[in-house]
Amino acid sequence: MIFSSLTFLFAYLPLTLAVYFLMPLRARNAVLLAVSLIFYGWGEPVYISIMVLSTLIDYTHGMLVERFRCRDKLARWFVGQSVAFNLLLLGFFKYWDFLAASLSALPEVNLPRLGAPLPIGISFFTFQTMSYTIDVYRRDAPVQRSLISFGAYVTMFPQLIAGPIVQYKTVAAELAGRVNTAEDFAPGARRFTLGLAKKVLLANSIGALWDAQLAARAAGTLSAAGGWLGILAFGFQIYFDFSGYSDMAIGLGRIFGFRFNENFDHPYLSASVTEFWRRWHMSLTGWFREYLYIPLGGSHCGTAKTLRNILVVWLCTGLWHGASWNFLLWGLYFAAWLALEKFVLRQALKKTPGWVKRLYTLAVVFTGWGIFAMEDLAVCGGYFFICFGGGQLWSAADGYTLRSYGLTFLILILASTALGQSLWRKLPERAEQILTPALMGLGLALCTAYLVDGSYNPFLYFRF
Amino acid sequence: MTKGYARFLTAFFCLFLGGILVWHLLLPDRERSETENRTLARRPELTWSALADGSFTRAVEDYFADQFPLRDGWTGVKARAELLLGKREFNGVYLCGDTLIARVNPPLDGLDEKNLAHTARLAERTEIPVYLGLIPSAAETWREKLPAGAESWDQAAFIARGWELEGVKPVDFLTALGARAGEDIFYRTDHHWTTLGAYYGYAALMEALGREPLPRMTFMRMTASEEFQGTLYSQSGIHWLAPDSMEVWVWDVFTVTSWRDGTPKEAGLYDDDYLGKKDKYSFFLGGNQPLCVIRNEEGTGRLLLIRDSYADSLAPFLARHFEEVHLMDLRYYRGSAAAYAEENGMDGIVVLQSVPNFITDRNLGLLGQ
Repeated sequence: MIFSSLTFLFAYLPLTLAVYFLMPLRARNAVLLAVSLIFYGWGEPVYISIMVLSTLIDYTHGMLVERFRCRDKLARWFVGQSVAFNLLLLGFFKYWDFLAASLSALPEVNLPRLGAPLPIGISFFTFQTMSYTIDVYRRDAPVQRSLISFGAYVTMFPQLIAGPIVQYKTVAAELAGRVNTAEDFAPGARRFTLGLAKKVLLANSIGALWDAQLAARAAGTLSAAGGWLGILAFGFQIYFDFSGYSDMAIGLGRIFGFRFNENFDHPYLSASVTEFWRRWHMSLTGWFREYLYIPLGGSHCGTAKTLRNILVVWLCTGLWHGASWNFLLWGLYFAAWLALEKFVLRQALKKTPGWVKRLYTLAVVFTGWGIFAMEDLAVCGGYFFICFGGGQLWSAADGYTLRSYGLTFLILILASTALGQSLWRKLPERAEQILTPALMGLGLALCTAYLVDGSYNPFLYFRF
Repeated sequence: MTKGYARFLTAFFCLFLGGILVWHLLLPDRERSETENRTLARRPELTWSALADGSFTRAVEDYFADQFPLRDGWTGVKARAELLLGKREFNGVYLCGDTLIARVNPPLDGLDEKNLAHTARLAERTEIPVYLGLIPSAAETWREKLPAGAESWDQAAFIARGWELEGVKPVDFLTALGARAGEDIFYRTDHHWTTLGAYYGYAALMEALGREPLPRMTFMRMTASEEFQGTLYSQSGIHWLAPDSMEVWVWDVFTVTSWRDGTPKEAGLYDDDYLGKKDKYSFFLGGNQPLCVIRNEEGTGRLLLIRDSYADSLAPFLARHFEEVHLMDLRYYRGSAAAYAEENGMDGIVVLQSVPNFITDRNLGLLGQ
């Protein structure tokens, strides 16, 4: 199920809230586990088995690590087993077909493909449970002895399918005992509505433009200006889609009494590529830093090793986003820019005015989105060839595009800045109290209208 | 945030979601949507196998969306919001002042060339003269009305390619309609041509057949409906335009035989039942059917039309001249058009289709068989 669907908003969510809040506090983890399994199984019921298996295995491994803590070798062995299991699960469902297809390009090799749909959220929950066992071993997190509570954590529907990646230690205390109050529910509901509006009203609308530009490339009518408008559209689509989804997750989490970490911090305001990655999908970059980059030695073992570590982390980051060559290329692209900023551009950037740095960052990041968005490298190459002047520079269709999407772009640009937030904080309390329900009502009504019209509601993150 | 205010916001949010759920549950299910012209999904039945293969949950989603309270109203809200943002295209339909025009997308899988080739093969296969009458849609004839720079596939170039087919005689609807672009030749809320447009089409077709069309004055124009809200009204969600009016020009009583399910049934040039429904255009000959024959004992010659719905409003004009006009729809009639034409002694075969249909139809392979 996805949040931006009529069934979720007007059937699943109200029913879940009713059941959850009618049950006594001690039963709420069990309720959360049960409703989350329904949520997960909604699209592919058979995949509930993967979820249950994964939960059982990681629960057991957490207990084993705790039990054999005094025999370090054995404890390490169990951590290794858990990591291996999660990576195999991910590898099998997400990467096998890509690997088989790539190897079958070699002569004499012909590997069978699976062709099965990807279990949703598998990239998120395998990473979460992996970090759980590691954290238990490192004593960063207490072991969870209740299978129901652990199951509730792994399957928790607000963050299940599109993150943020919630590490066990951030919610361990709330799993054990939390209070549910209106003071948590109300801001949670507000945050959820904001996220829903970002996804349904902004991301989906501008996504239609990206699709149109891809079709124009295929038809041979794309111009350079149209090409860049398309890449801009995709960059905004993915930001509002993903951050909207994170807002919904954080809001829902709060409604149920959990505080998830923030996942986005106005990334398009960043003044360097390095800074961008500290503000974009923070739970993923944080995860890679904590469980891969630093264990590899981070940036404290000399230039050559630092370069190697950056390369490894970014190839993994690229692959995490999808099993295809363009994602590897995309990871490599950012590894190169990050290394460049670390070793070459650092001094120069210090002397550069802020707006130049921001423009430079946006140019690098949005060009990167072009690589990200087009899985077929031939299509990608052709598209960029047009963008960089390999065809006509401007066409009449671009004027039409600008008239149709100009206002939308303006809204997207303003919504990417911190302007709205700072204006909102300056409001007198009385105005805020009136505006909040008015805007929430308007947002929910408009989202409903767009969802009912519903011809265009693809969900970008099922792939992960 | 004070406790009281937080409770108020919480209640507001829950009432919005829960209220619509209750409304949805209490609202009786509708069988079909007139606006969308289709049957709506009904409450699905829960079975183990449906649950296991995921078809149950998909059916629930369809049911929930189809039976959503005020379904049509919400669509209108979206269209208004989009208009406010400066959009001029609504689900593939351009809003051009008071007129809706459907965009024509480039053909997929080379269907345009394939269907031309099928037409050429039909001409090779039979001695009966074959005519190709490709009707440009409003997006071509009224191109100047489209928003500046708005895309629509080049139908004129395609029609010109059709004219070069060997052994096939062209019918020039492009020039005939283009010359009358200033008149109401297409509906404003529907993708079809009006009866006026069909009259100009008829005149062009008669000319191609080497016969004399009747002048406009000979027909008595009568309004059949002033409440016509067509397919583009539904598709776009733009519900605030004035409805179209639909005319009837030909009032003669001809023998019309309709093969809807394999057996012949007596029918008429017009089916009044449809005037009370949303799908008013099906008033002409009663809408899509595999085969329909109009007989006029005073007429001469027999004509086979390989039809789409544009042909339904044109055929009554032809019936004034021909002894028999046969309308065959290859989407439903699964046989050889050439064999049929020979068995029934046709004097001519006209592939009479609108370009948007012709370039998306996957059944025209039957033409060459």
